[in-house]
Amino acid sequence: MKLKIDGIICEGREGETLMEVAKRHGIHIPSLCYRKGFEGLARCRLCLVEVKEGSRRRIVSSCVYPIKENIEVTVTTDEIQRMRKNIIMLLLLKAPNNSYINKLAEEYKVAAPERYMNPLDDENCILCGLCVKACEKMGTNAISFVNRGIYKKVSTPYDDASKDCIGCGACAEVCPTNAILVEDNEGKRKIWNREFNMVKCSLCGSYFATEEAYKLMQEKLNDNEEPICNECRKKIAADKLKESFANIY
Amino acid sequence: MSKGIIISPDKCTGCRTCELACSFMKHDNFNPKDAAISVLAFDEVGLQVPMTCLQCDDPHCVAVCPVNALEKDENTGVVNHDREKCIGCKMCVSACPFGNMTYSSRLKQVIKCDECGGDPQCVKLCPSGAIVYKELDSSMERRRNIASCFKEAFGEVIR
Ligand code: SF4
Ligand code: FES
Repeated sequence: MKLKIDGIICEGREGETLMEVAKRHGIHIPSLCYRKGFEGLARCRLCLVEVKEGSRRRIVSSCVYPIKENIEVTVTTDEIQRMRKNIIMLLLLKAPNNSYINKLAEEYKVAAPERYMNPLDDENCILCGLCVKACEKMGTNAISFVNRGIYKKVSTPYDDASKDCIGCGACAEVCPTNAILVEDNEGKRKIWNREFNMVKCSLCGSYFATEEAYKLMQEKLNDNEEPICNECRKKIAADKLKESFANIY
Repeated sequence: MSKGIIISPDKCTGCRTCELACSFMKHDNFNPKDAAISVLAFDEVGLQVPMTCLQCDDPHCVAVCPVNALEKDENTGVVNHDREKCIGCKMCVSACPFGNMTYSSRLKQVIKCDECGGDPQCVKLCPSGAIVYKELDSSMERRRNIASCFKEAFGEVIR
């Protein structure tokens, strides 16, 4: 199926979204919540584009818009630019001190009205939900959206330490604004109001994964060996290789 | 028949050009920590051992990845990592039996050898021929391939 994005003729398959097709053709569409494998969130709305179908024009979220034959897409028009600026302003009010959002605001020359700004606000979450999805993919389902309206946030049930959480930190890794705090300290990891014990490498003594995450890995591999960190595993492997050469010479 | 990186520790001088080549090729900087190949020194016997992904036949990393970001390409033999799909859970890092999978928190990504899509830069720039990229056919080469050296030790994971 053929379509045009910013004048460039693109080839796409039935069912693909505009975002996917644009990415494949190296066309940049601004986005925060789009991530391969996590399609369909459509929470940030930065990915707005204009679609012209025959004589009809409309503005759609490219990350969830399934492509159609012969549509003509414009990534940025004056109107879209204005809408993106508004969205960024709202994001700025939500997370006023977040460096990623501030960078975006700078790029788009957006400033939020002073009277609504709370300079002491330490909120970093923009409620995109990528972390919730990542947790779901891990099979742990420890976090989800809670509350409604201005109280909406991502958390564990009742903000308690979740027994399902394995402390892998994937949620923090996928977060586009780095809003999730992971504190590693002396063999402990703190995340989502829970403290985890880290696994200690049986050779070098360094801490490298939470006990729960390591256990999940072992279960998947049917492995019950003593824990060894990747650095030591590499050393053992290199040592074996060294031995086989030391014997030849 | 697939190609592979063959390592000869006896030829390695420990210059670590491969590490820099990899880091520059993949991340545009010269940081051995960002390289998917690393050289381990065994001073007692005067040997240097470059280590990189063995592109296992039955890869543990693939088995533990919850989002199928790792996949074995049956044609090239390479275990490919899809950076966009990866969620950074680091399961693969603790699962690799040879410690060849690392995660850079700074770059927010897994560091893993993909043989540069068939033109490994480390091999190209190695001045001493300690790492070469060729068809893994003759028995001598197979023996030289680091993977085959571990066959007895680690069993079924490698080709
Ligand atoms: S870190 Fe990425 S590649 Fe590794 S197991 Fe997790 S999702 Fe898969
Ligand atoms: S990328 Fe489409 S809504 Fe966020």
